[in-house]
Amino acid sequence: MIRLKKPKSEPKVSAGSMADIAFLLLIFFLVATTLMQDKGLMLQLPPDVPPTETPINERNLFKIRINSKNQFLIEEKVVDDLHNLKEEVMDFVLNPNANPSLSESPDKAIISIKTQRGTSYANFIDVLDEVKEAYYTMYGNRVGLSSKEFRALDKKNPSQNELYLTARAGLPMNISIAEPDKIN
Amino acid sequence: MRLKKRSKADTEISTASMPDIVFLLLFFFMVSATIKTEDEKLKVTIPKAQAITKVEKKFLIRELHVGFPKNQKLGSTPKISADGKLLELNALGNWVQEQKTSLGEVYSDQMIVLLRAHEEVDMGIIGDIQSELRKNNARKILYRTLEES
Repeated sequence: MIRLKKPKSEPKVSAGSMADIAFLLLIFFLVATTLMQDKGLMLQLPPDVPPTETPINERNLFKIRINSKNQFLIEEKVVDDLHNLKEEVMDFVLNPNANPSLSESPDKAIISIKTQRGTSYANFIDVLDEVKEAYYTMYGNRVGLSSKEFRALDKKNPSQNELYLTARAGLPMNISIAEPDKIN
Repeated sequence: MRLKKRSKADTEISTASMPDIVFLLLFFFMVSATIKTEDEKLKVTIPKAQAITKVEKKFLIRELHVGFPKNQKLGSTPKISADGKLLELNALGNWVQEQKTSLGEVYSDQMIVLLRAHEEVDMGIIGDIQSELRKNNARKILYRTLEES
């Protein structure tokens, strides 16, 4: 019994490693918490009112169709890959050579994306991405920025907000997504 | 001489308060970081895109997940979930209204629905969700994508 009795100085716990333990915990939480992710492709859906017949000139409509076999039909042409889509959209919207088959003016151009129920979501996102990238490139070109720089503009900063507004003036991003077809 | 001696003894900084400082930091991070609970029930791999933009008002975002259930018993058709619970399509309207109320009158019309959908689901369910959102006047939709490198 006498041997088991501890010396008086022993019960003191060393606090030296406390900081290390706390740091370890801190680093664990820093790594484990993923912050709210908020990046993506933004789109405004149309209001839920019965469709009204608005006369749209056929030449102002750029039609992209994706069927349930994931084949693309762009302006009535079957297309295998999308690498030209961005240039085609830009050409269509701006119509620099006043081609009568392309849009009348940039603000009247409408890009219509139509899918079917069996179309894969990834393909739809690919198409939407290309169309949005085309628009952002056009906006960027107007103020001498790249698409990426344009997207990074801070709207709270007055001078950057002005750039943003000048770029977007008279060139609305008209993207229409139709309800997926029931058939097929 | 006496002065020099004293200053020499004082040069060592006490590290006794170090753990307190670090714990304070730790608590600050624990409180400020919103821990995002990953959706356990659904398998979701989001697609990649280039033309992505960032939302400025984060508090407007409400999340919907679309993917295939991990649990085989739930079937193999894509399911919708919000806040860790599975939602049927016909309950989506209610969910939208609830979320809109939670934002308050001023911001309820600006609600952004973040759609975190698996890349292999088909457009059928996405279209159904979209028409449901339109019916409930929640028309801002954000397709969550990863940045293409």
